Amino acid sequence: MAIAAGNAPPPSSDVPLLYRRGVRRLLTQGIYVALTAVVIGYVYTSLDLREFGFGFLNEPAAFKVGNQWLTDVDGVTNSRITMYLVGVWSSLRAVLVAIALSTVIGVLIGVARLSSNWLVAQMAMLYVEIFRNTPLLVQVVLVYTILLIGAPLIENVVNVGDFFFISNRGMAMPWPVPDSGFWGTPDWFVGVWVAALIAIGVVAQRVRADRQGRERETGQPHYPNRWALGVFAVGAVVSFFALGAPVSIDEPVIVGTHYIEGMVMEPEFTALVAGLTLYTSAFIAEIVRGGIQALPRGQTEAANAVGLSAYQRLTLVILPQALRQIIPSVTNQYLNINKNSSLAYAVLYDDLFRVANIVQNKAGHALEMFFVIIVTYMLISFAISVVMNFFNARVTAQRI
Amino acid sequence: MVDMPAQNPQRIVLPPHRERARRPRIVRFREWARRNLFNSRAGTALTIITAAILALIVYGVVYFVFVDANWRVITENRWLLFAGGYPMDQEWRLWFSVMFVFLLIGLTYGTWASLGRRDHLFIVLASGFAILLLAHGGAAIWSTIWYLIAVGLLYAGYAIMIRMPRDASRGRTLQQRSVAGLLVAALPIVLIVLLAFGGARPRELEGFVLNLVLAPVGIAGGLIIAIPLALGRASRMRAISWTCTTYIEVVRGAPLLGWLFVALFILDDVIGGELIVRAMVVLAVFTAAYMAEYIRGALQALPHGQSEAAHAVGLNQFQSMQLIVMPQALRISIPPMVGQAISIWKDTTLVTVILPLRELKGNADSAIAQFEFTPDRIEAYVFVAVVFWVVAFIMSRISQRVEGSLGIGER
Repeated sequence: MAIAAGNAPPPSSDVPLLYRRGVRRLLTQGIYVALTAVVIGYVYTSLDLREFGFGFLNEPAAFKVGNQWLTDVDGVTNSRITMYLVGVWSSLRAVLVAIALSTVIGVLIGVARLSSNWLVAQMAMLYVEIFRNTPLLVQVVLVYTILLIGAPLIENVVNVGDFFFISNRGMAMPWPVPDSGFWGTPDWFVGVWVAALIAIGVVAQRVRADRQGRERETGQPHYPNRWALGVFAVGAVVSFFALGAPVSIDEPVIVGTHYIEGMVMEPEFTALVAGLTLYTSAFIAEIVRGGIQALPRGQTEAANAVGLSAYQRLTLVILPQALRQIIPSVTNQYLNINKNSSLAYAVLYDDLFRVANIVQNKAGHALEMFFVIIVTYMLISFAISVVMNFFNARVTAQRI
Repeated sequence: MVDMPAQNPQRIVLPPHRERARRPRIVRFREWARRNLFNSRAGTALTIITAAILALIVYGVVYFVFVDANWRVITENRWLLFAGGYPMDQEWRLWFSVMFVFLLIGLTYGTWASLGRRDHLFIVLASGFAILLLAHGGAAIWSTIWYLIAVGLLYAGYAIMIRMPRDASRGRTLQQRSVAGLLVAALPIVLIVLLAFGGARPRELEGFVLNLVLAPVGIAGGLIIAIPLALGRASRMRAISWTCTTYIEVVRGAPLLGWLFVALFILDDVIGGELIVRAMVVLAVFTAAYMAEYIRGALQALPHGQSEAAHAVGLNQFQSMQLIVMPQALRISIPPMVGQAISIWKDTTLVTVILPLRELKGNADSAIAQFEFTPDRIEAYVFVAVVFWVVAFIMSRISQRVEGSLGIGER
């Protein structure tokens, strides 16, 4: 085996056939393959595969999928696979928001855990110990229950200036939607604007690199970040109005017991994201703490020696190095967020897992649905890993 | 300072740090507070803000626990939450198992670690919590007594083991081996006590008892599968390493809920049996993939010299694995394994979500489904969270102590 690497094979002439390494390996693998084949064959024959196939996914769905945002797909005319994709979009939304929030909170708590302020450090430890050691399911369900019981009924909704509402049906707030612009520009100009934003972002990146280069050459401050930000902001505003501002603000309205228009954050979504964030940020905080503690003490001492303030020491010396080291572990946590988002099932948030379950209830085909589920999760995990590996390669390539 | 003549000829002048330590407590506290709470203007502001938040939280918690909450949803449904459908006339089996496990915890602590002040405090607090729960209303005096006996057994086991010799003698080896053997045999023994000879049927395991059964089965079963899996993945024989890698990656690719979906709908055709058994199989299979990765990491972290030295002294492949490589690899992988064990402990709640199995959280749902307790949903879930937290905390605490005494992570 791999552990016993490196010893040269004995001369084959005087070794009996059964004791030769090649023969042994062949025999072992032969027996192993035969056993595996028997197991797989048993599983295969015991499964009911007479109706195996994915055709059922193209039939009309005939069920509703809630918690939609930016989409309004009804289940009457659309197929099951379309509804499933709506569920995938819901999952992705929750996962992305939870990743962003848990990273920010996790880093903050992780740093606070090592604060020189005793009270802050103890509070951070309390946070970590509480949220790391309780089941995520209970956290999600508890937040959901609190939102349902604690928030006012929609009849006595909390109304902030007629554009922001809080009730037990969630929070509603204004949201920009594509619309025709000043000089009759069509609403798809929003897409043009987004494309323009990407182009402007590339230009801003160039400006930044250029300024950084000059800074390095001359030793004079050339403010690369401020320049890049300024270029981006000016470009964004100018292009927005040049395209006729093809956006209008959609304000939420209450009709009966429902919100219409605006962006509505349903309690299901909030509970899922809050649970995922609380739980994962506790783990990320521990990872951040480990990363900081793994740095040699000399880094802190050197930062003190050149006269950096505590804040500069943290943001310029400690965190850049620590965060670089912890990217693999944090990626693991992101993958966990992806998989744990299936807990949406417990609060009836229509994510991919729940929609898949509904499809399975309606149409059977458990095996096929499981394939679909696992492939989707693996694809999302793969996407997260690719992005994080790219990021990792970038930050570890440049030396500080 | 040292040169200063002593004002009191009786007083011995100590080195500065000892001198500082001799000053009155209030002075030392003031200095400590200045260093740790008010070290700068910003630090003072931070302390005040944090203290205000803390005060708010404490006020909220105290108000909720003592004023707002109606804990009758817990006390009235004690048995439902604890064991649910477990036959009530077989209660002694549960208590026997509790005592046995408590005794084992005491023996383990006494053999490989020692109870610190914090541990005693924690035991007292946890016991207080348990007794408060057990003795609140109703005729539960006997369960309180059984519980106290269990705690007494914990301390008795600890007291016996802590007095044993700690050197590398024969007696010590025998002691360690017998405790380890008991630990290995604990799960089968508890399962036999709970289920065999007129005990409950597997589907009657419910409530907290179900969590307490599922988690160890998942952990032990996972470990048993994980060791060959890790070795297989590290193997140079392609057929073996590829299948093991596929297993690990596929299992880690889907969430546990997905695999429980398999247990419910697909495994029925393959292995049949009771749903609870299928759930156990899934838990073990799922845990194994993660544990195998930790063991593989430990195998890779082990220097090559270890197995080479084993071969040099004439051990064969199997002996080198069993005597040299595996013991060290398993020891390295204890910290992440405990993390995985705690994770599985928390994940036992998931069987409620899509399987018709009622563990603690599921029975909390049943408790608040009763008409009179529907307003008390938050109380029920808070209770469930606290119970899970306590057990997870015990697990991490034990592992920290054992790690410390085994010298893991020290160089």
